[in-house]
Amino acid sequence: MTRTGAAAGHLGYYHEAVCYDSDDDLLAVAVPFLLGGAEAGEPTIVALGERSAGVVRSALPGDAPVVFMSGGAMYARPAGAIRAYRKLLAEHVTAGAGQIRIIGELTTEMFGPAWDSWARYESAINHAYDEFPLWSMCAYDTRTMPPAVHEDVLRTHPRTAMPDGRHVPNETYVDPVSFLSDRRRPVPDPLQRGVPRADIDSPTLSDARQAVRDADGGRLAPDDVDDLVVAVSEAVANGHRHGRAPVRMRLWSGDDRIVVTVSDAGPGPKDPFAGLLPTGDGLDGGLGLWIAHQSCDHVVMYRDAGAFTIRLTAGR
Amino acid sequence: MCHPSVLARRGRRRGWLLLRNDECHGVRRMSPAIKAGHECWAYSDERLFDAYARKFIEVGLAAGELVWYVPSARTADPSVRGGAIRVIPFEEAYAGATVVDPATQVALYTAVTEDALAAGYTGFRVVADATPLVRTGEQREAFTRYEYVIGRYMRDNPMSAVCAFDRAELGERAVAELACLHETSHDAGVPFQLHPGPSSAEAVLDGELDMSAEELFAMALSRTDLDRAPGEVVVDAAGLRFIDHRSLLTLQRYAESQRTTAVLRTRLGAVSRLAGLLDLPRVRVEAAR
Repeated sequence: MTRTGAAAGHLGYYHEAVCYDSDDDLLAVAVPFLLGGAEAGEPTIVALGERSAGVVRSALPGDAPVVFMSGGAMYARPAGAIRAYRKLLAEHVTAGAGQIRIIGELTTEMFGPAWDSWARYESAINHAYDEFPLWSMCAYDTRTMPPAVHEDVLRTHPRTAMPDGRHVPNETYVDPVSFLSDRRRPVPDPLQRGVPRADIDSPTLSDARQAVRDADGGRLAPDDVDDLVVAVSEAVANGHRHGRAPVRMRLWSGDDRIVVTVSDAGPGPKDPFAGLLPTGDGLDGGLGLWIAHQSCDHVVMYRDAGAFTIRLTAGR
Repeated sequence: MCHPSVLARRGRRRGWLLLRNDECHGVRRMSPAIKAGHECWAYSDERLFDAYARKFIEVGLAAGELVWYVPSARTADPSVRGGAIRVIPFEEAYAGATVVDPATQVALYTAVTEDALAAGYTGFRVVADATPLVRTGEQREAFTRYEYVIGRYMRDNPMSAVCAFDRAELGERAVAELACLHETSHDAGVPFQLHPGPSSAEAVLDGELDMSAEELFAMALSRTDLDRAPGEVVVDAAGLRFIDHRSLLTLQRYAESQRTTAVLRTRLGAVSRLAGLLDLPRVRVEAAR
């Protein structure tokens, strides 16, 4: 099966940004992209937010074989999005697809404190989807996108699709290994300015889990608390198993969220994709951080002052 | 800090005497206050064990049960006299075995229980220090299999037991191997209990399973009689507080080795989500009733 359009002859993932400031510019890129895929018989998918999806849908012929998916469901958590997309792509390839086309977008609420994890997502997928004949476009509305986000978009997408039909390489693009190896300290959660509700040196896994259960005042959904218990347990296990003593756990709770940090004196995981992709089959480890990333609303891993820290947040 | 309260009450099963579990922050503690049909007591200080044994015996005597006390070299005569207590030499209680034969030992205790009932007792209770029978790996493999199946007999019949083990002599690892296959354990350092359900196709799993329990859980599964079940096996985990992904993978590997499916019944929604992430073809997670 051959590939079509701009990705013709390309091996692996052809990853583009679309930075638009009007519906017309979005449509100028999206419509030919989608119709080209439909005409070539390629699986052609829209995973935009509700408003953008409506704009695109109304510009396509009613019978165009284009699948509209809920972008919100796909983009709940970065590690979850990678897992879901990899499954979807594998199914299409197994069914004989020579190329899959997807246009998607992140919602504006992801441009807030959790943006770092989505920037890492955008970088990681250059590797995570590279085994598939995927041509995807990630749409960003420059009217609502902060400049720092725009910078990260250009650093994580090898090229930009322009309204005039050109596909322009992004000069500031950096390969994912370099991008993901930069584990800077994130902006502290405001809750972290206060005294931690729990501060435990060398916690047992059982103590760590109980601290999370004790911190829940019934304000978070029970499933979110249960999933945070899983994530914290995995993070502390990871610290004891792979980190360097002392392991320290701190927890802050607020009206709408619980924030937990787990630190150790080691350098943290060597694999830049740790957390976003499984790094093993579980027999020799490799799944703990990935599960922690799947089980929390926001996860940050960083190195600072001789320590590695993973920060886990449940709630928004 | 919470203080365990020990409240005697008539048991929910067949009317024999049970004591209520204590709880702290909702966590069932493996502590002296726990009384159950099939208990493990790991001791370093035999005086504490002797004191506990006396209480256990007194409760049985007060309930009209036949009581056996099977001491070892370190454990003392319980100093409880009268009633229906019999101090049984170790060799008699275990028929002179050096490696226990599970079926023979279950048959022996079944006969004692039935004879006790026929003689008008309300049941049979035994305190046994089984340290001499679990010193080697071969002995423990046999004894853990026996512990599991006698647990089912106790579940369904008016027999209860405290199995005591000398931690100083056996070591932590050996004690954990034995303790986790009881309904409850005291001071054995095990975070979970795997004990029998009503049939060989059903086991009960309580406590918490994380990396501290990984190897032990694999061992415990291999000592059950789940391998005799013809179809799917059920792990009733209604009392489970936590299970991590490694333990779910352990369950998957066990089910795969037995060419069966393990149905894990739990109240923890996170387990179902975790199993979904791991794509476990041999484990099905269901909501506990």
